[in-house]
Amino acid sequence: MKRTLFLILTLALLLASCAAPVKRTDTVFAMDTVMELTVYGDEALLEDARDVITDMESRLSVTLEGSEINALNSHGSAALSPDTVKLLEGALELCALTGGALDITVYPLVRAWGFTTGEYRVPGEDEIAGLLERVDYNAVALGDGEARLPEGAMVDLGAVAKGYLDDAIAGLWREEGVKSGLLNLGGSVYALGGKPDGSAWRVGVRDPFGSGYLGVIEARDVAVVTSGGYERYFEQDGRTYWHILDPKTGFPADSGLSSVTVVGQEGLLCDGLSTALFVMGLDAATELWRGRTDFDLVLVTSGGEVYITDGLESVFSLSGSYKDKEVKVIRRG
Amino acid sequence: MGIKRLARDAVLTAAALTIFIVELQLPELVPIPGVKLGLANIVTVTALFTLGAPDALAILLCRILLGSLFAGNLMALLYSLSGGLLSFAVLLLMRKLLTKKQLWVASVFAAMAHNLGQIAAAILVTSTPSLLVYLPVLTVSGIVTGLFTGLTAQYAVGRLKNVLKK
Amino acid sequence: MAKTGTWVTIILVLLVLAIAASLFLRLRPAGGTIAEIYVDGRLERRVDLSGVTVPTRFTVETERGVNVILCEPGRIRVESADCPDKVCVDFGWLQDSAAPIVCLPHRLVIKLTGDAPIDAEVG
Repeated sequence: MKRTLFLILTLALLLASCAAPVKRTDTVFAMDTVMELTVYGDEALLEDARDVITDMESRLSVTLEGSEINALNSHGSAALSPDTVKLLEGALELCALTGGALDITVYPLVRAWGFTTGEYRVPGEDEIAGLLERVDYNAVALGDGEARLPEGAMVDLGAVAKGYLDDAIAGLWREEGVKSGLLNLGGSVYALGGKPDGSAWRVGVRDPFGSGYLGVIEARDVAVVTSGGYERYFEQDGRTYWHILDPKTGFPADSGLSSVTVVGQEGLLCDGLSTALFVMGLDAATELWRGRTDFDLVLVTSGGEVYITDGLESVFSLSGSYKDKEVKVIRRG
Repeated sequence: MGIKRLARDAVLTAAALTIFIVELQLPELVPIPGVKLGLANIVTVTALFTLGAPDALAILLCRILLGSLFAGNLMALLYSLSGGLLSFAVLLLMRKLLTKKQLWVASVFAAMAHNLGQIAAAILVTSTPSLLVYLPVLTVSGIVTGLFTGLTAQYAVGRLKNVLKK
Repeated sequence: MAKTGTWVTIILVLLVLAIAASLFLRLRPAGGTIAEIYVDGRLERRVDLSGVTVPTRFTVETERGVNVILCEPGRIRVESADCPDKVCVDFGWLQDSAAPIVCLPHRLVIKLTGDAPIDAEVG
């Protein structure tokens, strides 16, 4: 009897492993970053994802000659494809939601600091003041498949594009019946379903003060996006200047946060908010979170304290050297 | 199967079943799956040493089947069966090696085999090999409970010898 | 036929070995604070008990029944279950032990392990 049972179990196991989708991975270099694609299913799924990435880059790249955004920035107006309009609308909504802490027109300042080219410099006060006048997302006129910018203004969708790309690829894969996939688009992660063994995807949140990660989020059908000053920065005269600028001051955001991780179902929202909340700081970020139910946060202060919002309580855990630290849980009400 | 034999086996099954159900009502000794006194085995051992293998096996199988039904725990059937059959096999084997006065020894080994069978079934069912960590604890409990049921059965065999004649 | 004394010796040796092994296993810590909950051998959920700050309750539902699981800082238990034997509930807290909580009727196993590797990193 035991032998029969054992046989049946072995057979079931064999059958199950035959029917299980195969793991496919690919690495794509696009949008100034490395993108890692993992999916359980056909090879064609990766092909589809690459097509989406190529298409998105050809429309949204700031630097690529002939892209819709490039055309908009160089001519002050451009016809936009429906998809780009949708993204731009979504981005402008986020700018409004965060009261301008996210501003897609901050690009001229980012360029002045040299973050686009790597030739870093600290611009003078006058230069910054002058460029700040061009920064105003409200001045982006959008309608009838066309966008217009005031003189000298420029749009960069870099702060939301990867999240939007997460949504696009995950949506496509879902339509194609994918049950399990993982996107890591240069640090903007999307977990489609869980792993085939039923467990959640484990997403490490990088330690802003060192190498390795400070904690792990068990992710299932959510985007996880982190923004931190450590991603791109330079030092001059003993000061550190990072690439996330406060659109109000034109200087690197100095809100007391070292990294902001946003977890939610919509990649676009998570991507945009991670940048904005880094600019806004702990208190404003908490307040914004209390007013909504579509995302959760991991906030690391410059003092090394770790805060999470209560939705992550059962899926976030500290690891490595952070293991013995206290996580402060932010609750509603 | 003669009427007398049928009636006798049925009575023994009922006795085993009663003991089994009563034992279920007792609080657990240890919160470990599979650890219990196994008092119903007194009947199995007694039956084997007085009536022989076929009758004892029939009584055992009926008790396991009905016991699982009455306890409303059909899932337990698999564990009971694997444990019960393995321990029965050990009893059969030991019977050849033992004198009447050493009957309790068979019961001790049967109890250990019973727990071993249950663990094996549990490992197969849950696909969790680490359940093996319970083996030592279950061996200890098997020896203790097997000793108890064995001595009881030995006493019962002596007393019932004439009553349970073939 | 072996003498009764021989059998007693064999049984005693087995008893001592088993007691020693159980003590050894009891004293040996599980070496981890990650609680893994398996149903039917499939990993259903993973909770880092060191990351739990306040008592958290969740339910694991299988086709065979429901187990309500309670996590507290550093420990985990089955709080209630609709299984017939309630062995899993009577187990009490699982904390720093290699022996898993088992609910045989529901084919549910909770055990402690160390860190699992991550699949992606953000930041």
